[in-house]
This record gives sequence, C-alpha cells and structure tokens, in this order.
Amino acid sequence: MREKTTTLYLGPQHPGITGNMMVKLQLDGDTIVKAKTEVGYLHRAFEKLIERRNWMQSTTILCRFCVPEPDPPEAAFALAVEKLEGREVPERGKYLRTLVLELARIQTYMLWYAGQSGSAGLYTIGQWSVGDRNYVLDLFEELTGGRIYHMYIWPGGVRRDIPEGFEDKVLKTMDYLEKRLDQFDKLVFDNAIFQKRAQGVGIINPDKAIEWGVVGPPLRGCGIAHDVRKDNPYDAYDQLDFEMGVFEGNDVWSRARVRQFEIRQSISMVRQIIDKLPKGEYLNKMPNPMKWTVPAGSAYGKVESARGEFGFHVVSDGSIYPRRVHARGPAYAHAVTLLEDVLVGANVADVSFIMNSLGTCPPEIER
Amino acid sequence: MDNAQIKEEKLMITLQSAFPDAEVAFMRKDEVSLTIDKEKVASVLLKAKNQLGYNYLSHLTCVDWMEQNEFELIYIIWSPTDKISLYVRTRIDREHPEMENTDMIWRQLNTYQREIREMFGVEFPGFVGDKDFILEDWEEMPPMRRDFDTLTYVDDTYFEREGREDARDVREAITKKSGEEIPDFAKKYSRQ
Repeated sequence: MREKTTTLYLGPQHPGITGNMMVKLQLDGDTIVKAKTEVGYLHRAFEKLIERRNWMQSTTILCRFCVPEPDPPEAAFALAVEKLEGREVPERGKYLRTLVLELARIQTYMLWYAGQSGSAGLYTIGQWSVGDRNYVLDLFEELTGGRIYHMYIWPGGVRRDIPEGFEDKVLKTMDYLEKRLDQFDKLVFDNAIFQKRAQGVGIINPDKAIEWGVVGPPLRGCGIAHDVRKDNPYDAYDQLDFEMGVFEGNDVWSRARVRQFEIRQSISMVRQIIDKLPKGEYLNKMPNPMKWTVPAGSAYGKVESARGEFGFHVVSDGSIYPRRVHARGPAYAHAVTLLEDVLVGANVADVSFIMNSLGTCPPEIER
Repeated sequence: MDNAQIKEEKLMITLQSAFPDAEVAFMRKDEVSLTIDKEKVASVLLKAKNQLGYNYLSHLTCVDWMEQNEFELIYIIWSPTDKISLYVRTRIDREHPEMENTDMIWRQLNTYQREIREMFGVEFPGFVGDKDFILEDWEEMPPMRRDFDTLTYVDDTYFEREGREDARDVREAITKKSGEEIPDFAKKYSRQ
C-alpha cells in the first residue's frame, strides 16, 4: 500500500443516495482503505416535535421518517400503541393494513430496481420501474388520498374502508406488474454488466451478521432466515401463505435475488388478502383524539419493512402526549457501522451501488 | 401453557436466579423486562448474549424523567431462537449522567451511545466515538432533554424575514387583512 492516501467526500449531494448523507473515504488509488459515515444534513427533530403533539397528531409526523417507504413506521407506531393500550384490531382492519404494507413493499422494491440498476449505470430499468411504481401509487391515492404519505394506519385499525371496485383494480395492477417483472429480470438479472458488478461485491460476514444488527434482505442474502413477519407475526401475516427469500452469497447479488424473489411473494400475498378479506369493522372505535390518553408504560412495536426490521420504542407517562418516541430503522445499523466496514477494500465506483443494496435511507438515521 | 409461555417462564427464572437483586417481570406476549442497577447492566447484556442466545440488539433508548431527576436507559435485545424481546432497564442520575460503555458487546451501541451523548448529555467513560453525530458544534443544553425550550431557542437563533413578521399566526394575519372577526369556536386555538 502506498503511504499517501487521498481523501474523497462522497455526498452529501449524490445521485446514488436517497436523501443527504456523506461518506468520507480514504482512497489508495481507487480502492477504499477507510470509510466514515457522516450524517446531520437532514435532522428535523421529529422525535422532539412528537413530545409536544398528541397521539393522533404524531401519526402525521411518523410517516415522514423514511421517504421511500412511509407505511412501515405508521404500522410500527400503531402496534406499539396497541400494546400499551391492549387495544384490539378488527380482522378487516388487520387485512387492510397488511394489504397496504405489502403494496408498500412492492413500490419500495420498484424504487430499489431504479436505484440499484441506476448506480450500476443501467438507467433504462429505472425509467421503467419508477413508471410502473406509479400504478401502485395510484392505488394508494384512491385508497388513502395521498400518493406517498398516507397516514392510513391508525392505532386500532385503518382510517377508512376500501372504495368500491378497489379490489378489482388491485388485482389488475398485480397482473400487470407480474408480467413486467419478467422483463425486469431480463434487463437486470440476465445482464452481464449487472452480474459482473454485483457478484462478490459488498461482502457481509454471515457469522457476524445478526450481531451487527443486519436485517431484512441483506440478512437473508447471507443465508439467514429472519423476517419479523415470520418470527413475531403481526396483523394478518400469520394467516397468509408466503416464503422468505433466503439466498447464500453475502454480496450485492444475493441481496438482489432476495428482493427479486420477495416482490413476487408480495404480489401473491396481495392476491390472498383480496381473496380472504373479511367483512365487518375496519377500525376499533377511538376516543376523542384531543383527550386521548395512553396508559403509562413502554412498548417496542416492530414490522418488517422492505429494508428490514423497522421499530418504534414508545414510552407513555399516561398523558395526552407521548413521553418519548424513538425509531430504529434498518439504516441505523446498515449505513453507519456496517457500511463503514463493508466499504473497506471496495472500489470507489461501487460505493453507491453497495449503499443501495443495503437499503440506506439517511432520513431515518437522524430523523 | 403453550410453548412461548414456557420459554418466557424459563427465561425469567434463569435471569432471576443469575441476578437476584434484579426486578424481572413479564410484560406481555413475547416480552420480558428486567430492571437493574446501572453497574450490572453490562453483565446482564453479556450473559444474555453469550449464554442465553440473545445476540440481536433491537434498540437502545434514553428517556428523560425530569420530575424524578433521572434518565432511564432501555436496551432491547432479541433472541432468534426464543423469538422473545428482553427489555433491560436502568435508571441513572440526571445531574451527573454517566453510564458504562458497552459498545464492545454490540458494535451498533457505538452509534446509539453517540446519539444519546449528544441528545441527552449522558457520558460513557472510555467510549471512543466522534463527538458530533447529528448536530454540529452544539454548545447549548442537549436538545432532547425535556427542559430544553425549543421556542426560546428558535426565537434567539433565527430571525423573521422582512415582511413576514405576521406569518407566525396565519389566522390572526388573515383577520387583520380582511377585517373579519375570528369565529368564537376558533378563538381558543389562537395565540393571542
């Protein structure tokens, strides 16, 4: 190794990163010898704001923790509050939540197709997948009124029932997306450039993966079967038939295979939900939001987002405001300690490629 | 008693016999809580990780109990075999907040400790980690403490853009410009 290394600041503005975050790299030629994550460009003090908002108002802030997938935070918060209150969710509410969470997973994976292939220089796929993602956002708009932020999952159920003819639209969209996925496979997974860029790059040590806090597709890409939906089932997941995508390899390629497998599983789950959707209430009657108090205590609600375990630790002192709400996003472990480790020895051109495969989302690190 | 309940019972008995002065309690399905003095937290974490298989760290958080002059630190760890979450709780003094450094047990604790040191001012003696994490050159009171006054900070730090002085209370501004009265039901939400 040469004695002199070059310092390169990658970010905070970089097309390969969702949000603003900097990685300070020490380079020997174009090989990374040291990497350091620097965050602080997106701090919006959401957790501080929530201390002065009542329980209902909090739900409008929570979904903004991670822009690419705003639904898992809503669900995690709702689960935590339900644990504290002991509030039951009606069956239909559970199924509608699961429907939204799976549609959210599909749209996040579509966005991932764009980020992952775009950072390898394959821009066509990004144009296609973001275009197709809009069909899922159309469904969200019809169901919740919003395309990106929904504020749909409330403690006790969901905010409103599905509109007329919605099931049919969902099924048609799923049929369309399934056909499109075959074309994405040809463009991404059968592509020699993508294979060469992804195989053997961004290796995570599988023996240390759980200990290092790796979750979601990166963990299942290390051959370890761990998924909150299976381990601690919530909502309607225990009534659905699905498989985890578990692939060996520990590299970007295996993580991509996990997502390729799971997006099809999500489509199958959406079909099962529409098929089994029970009738009845969708929301457990809630108290007056301005006077709503939650019993004192603490609870950790967790869901499996498209990037791994997303959790909220909610502490209540029995008043109309949460005492403390603290988020644990997958990027909190992936993009700081893990990324700094994985990047050592990698090529500088692979940085945003590896970051995309780990599901880096800076807004949820600093909130 | 189903399988999960047996596992919870077993865990509680093991923990209670290993740490007799700890308060072990069943919280709810798949969740067990252990409250202990701050000096013994590291040994609980080590035992849980190395002997009981709780090798996944879900979360570490700090809660400010200003009224009792204490901070509460809650470590949440999870076992991939038992599928149970264990909450390890401890309380530390708020005037001189100090907690044992545990980032050699889980590397991610380094990130959590950096955040808690910055946001609550809790010191972890012997802990190596960059001082600035989210904030930059911060010299005021740690901002996540409950007595940090956000409004005063904003008033002191930022200024109104010229011509936008009335933008703080939109309702008042509209009333003044249009000459219409604020309806009775809305008056209680007004700043005036």
